[in-house]
Amino acid sequence: MDAGFVNAYLVAVQNVFKTMLQLEIVMGKPSLKKDRLTMGDVTGVIGFAGDKKGTFSLCFSKDGAIFVYKSMIGEDAPGITPDVVDAIGELTNIISGQTRVEIEKLGYKLSAALPTVIVGHNVEINFITKVPVIALPFTFQAGTTTGEVYLDFSFE
Amino acid sequence: MKTLVVDDFATMRKIVKNVLKQIDITNVTEAENGKQAFDILRGDPTFELIVSDWIMPEMTGIEFLKACKGDDAIKKIPFVMVTAEAQKDSVIEAIKGGVDNYIVKPFTPDKLQEAIQKAIAKAANQ
Repeated sequence: MDAGFVNAYLVAVQNVFKTMLQLEIVMGKPSLKKDRLTMGDVTGVIGFAGDKKGTFSLCFSKDGAIFVYKSMIGEDAPGITPDVVDAIGELTNIISGQTRVEIEKLGYKLSAALPTVIVGHNVEINFITKVPVIALPFTFQAGTTTGEVYLDFSFE
Repeated sequence: MKTLVVDDFATMRKIVKNVLKQIDITNVTEAENGKQAFDILRGDPTFELIVSDWIMPEMTGIEFLKACKGDDAIKKIPFVMVTAEAQKDSVIEAIKGGVDNYIVKPFTPDKLQEAIQKAIAKAANQ
């Protein structure tokens, strides 16, 4: 796996979180994903096609997703409402766009599909690639709470 | 200023509406895709500003832009594309399609306000 792809996601996620959510986000150690299960409660998924094909997913805990919604819109949500799901879909879409700009700098042109959002814990996602899935863990500070975001991707 | 905001995500429509409100634009109609938006405009071409996403189902933002700029009753309405499509080819395609301004997500409210005001000024000078 080209380290450039990891860097593309890092730059995209940090830029989007800083601009749209006013949050500094820090990436932990990348690893190979050992299972196919979602790590949190709300997961945005987008497929790419073009010079490479692949998929990435962006996974939030219930509280993390609600926090993102509040940061984007300025309104509270009582739970995983359709509005919260919509916000995670849009955030996934924006990160997809920024990532493709970074990947274009590596010489690959990609187009994206419409995002899908999965609600549920330990849901199986099958990335339709033969190469391993890379897991990128991120953390951000929301007041006294540390929020977590899990980004998984696979390109070939 | 009568404005049409087009995005398949309600979240982004809310964000754009909040930014428009800060510059005293409150007469806002929403549409979920280009087809719905174009139907609204054909029924009422008195809108004074269009703010549209690119990637949408049924009719994309670029198809919607080209449809607007090809319609004599609609083509003079300032058209701002607000999109996650930041790749060079996309920007060039939108410029060729006649977009009045183009802003890439993520954006700050200030950037969107500036893009909208520039598009309005550009259209007024044409």
